[in-house]
Amino acid sequence: MSDTRPGDDPVGGADDPGTEEPPVDGDPGDAVDTDDAPPRRADSRSGRPDSERRREIPYTESQVIMPTVKIVAPFAFTYGLFITFHGAGSPGGGFQGGAIMAAVVFMIAFAFGIEATREWLANTVVVALAVGGALAFAGIGLIPVARGGAFLQYDLLPIPVKYGLESVEIFGIAAIVSGVLMGLFFLLASGFDSDGSGFGDTGSAEDDADEAADDPDAPESDRTAVADGGER
Amino acid sequence: MIGATSVGSSATAGAAPAVAQVTAVEGGLLAFVVLTALATALARDVLAAVIVFGAYSLGMAALYTFYRAPDVALTEAAISAGVTTVLLLLTLAKTTRIDHDVALESVNLPAVGAVGLLFGGLLLTMGDIPAVGSPDAAVWSNPEVSQWYLRESYAQTGVENSVMAVLAAFRGFDTFGEAVVVFAGGIAALIVLHREVFA
Repeated sequence: MSDTRPGDDPVGGADDPGTEEPPVDGDPGDAVDTDDAPPRRADSRSGRPDSERRREIPYTESQVIMPTVKIVAPFAFTYGLFITFHGAGSPGGGFQGGAIMAAVVFMIAFAFGIEATREWLANTVVVALAVGGALAFAGIGLIPVARGGAFLQYDLLPIPVKYGLESVEIFGIAAIVSGVLMGLFFLLASGFDSDGSGFGDTGSAEDDADEAADDPDAPESDRTAVADGGER
Repeated sequence: MIGATSVGSSATAGAAPAVAQVTAVEGGLLAFVVLTALATALARDVLAAVIVFGAYSLGMAALYTFYRAPDVALTEAAISAGVTTVLLLLTLAKTTRIDHDVALESVNLPAVGAVGLLFGGLLLTMGDIPAVGSPDAAVWSNPEVSQWYLRESYAQTGVENSVMAVLAAFRGFDTFGEAVVVFAGGIAALIVLHREVFA
């Protein structure tokens, strides 16, 4: 138990490290489950995925998916670029193209593993896309203001109006959408993070629950412990 | 599975010209969308519901394409069928999978009655809605708004896609607000998940 939570609060360290706690569902006493079938938990019910637990997202190398993604991904990425760059003359635009380019990253992550993709695609790239997109959109909008016009008054830009619209779509919207979608993907893949954040309350409550589950003399708190685990 | 079996039967049902001017493709797509929506609502297994919901979004994207709204169709396919399905699956992977004996959720009869009443009420308004693609529809034929944008978007912006001209130029400030909302959504996810880095 203690090795899955490195650097946690001292309450967890007080536990005997040799006793690996069985899942609470194994207890014959609990009758809290409202569903018909008893829930079958895939893994430990600890609600705090740390760095080791993050790698527990099931990943198996597939000889079908990996070559398929290798072939499809360049075309899909090019299609996303096409949709983005040709939004002026054909359906689409920055939003759709950015979403397609982010979906290519999702595809790669599903084929080659989310953690490998996370390391390949540095956080700097994602943040630069999102922040740079917002700044580019605001900057393109503010250039006409600096020249004495209105916000996003394209005819005051030093480029033709059409290229003003396209630059907003390409450098602004597509970058924001692709960056934020990729960020949401990796955020959801990692889930809650306990290190260096304000999750002490939940952690201590769960440790109390774990201790209570170990103690057979406390049936009431045992029930609450099961309820807490079932909520997550 | 349910949606897949429904495609064949609905395609043959749509081939019969029961309703005026509903082609086989349109009828098949409508039936596919309705059946996948029902399956999404009724599936007891959440994973099955998510996958059928992705099929529903794909059907909606095809329907939007059929109704010649390719911009909306692209958004529906990319966001709803692609990104949302992936994010929901990713979330499901972090939760507990529960074995179910029955495939479908039990139907709540009062809820069905309420939905049926609402559906019947909406159906009563169908008579006043213009036909699909009608040139007399007010949203198309009014000279002040729709025709003005269609006439002026190329003249004022030099962009052939008038949807993009409206979004990026005529309603550019709104689009800026929407883009900032997307950006703020990413920041909010960082805050909610107690993290400081995206990847």
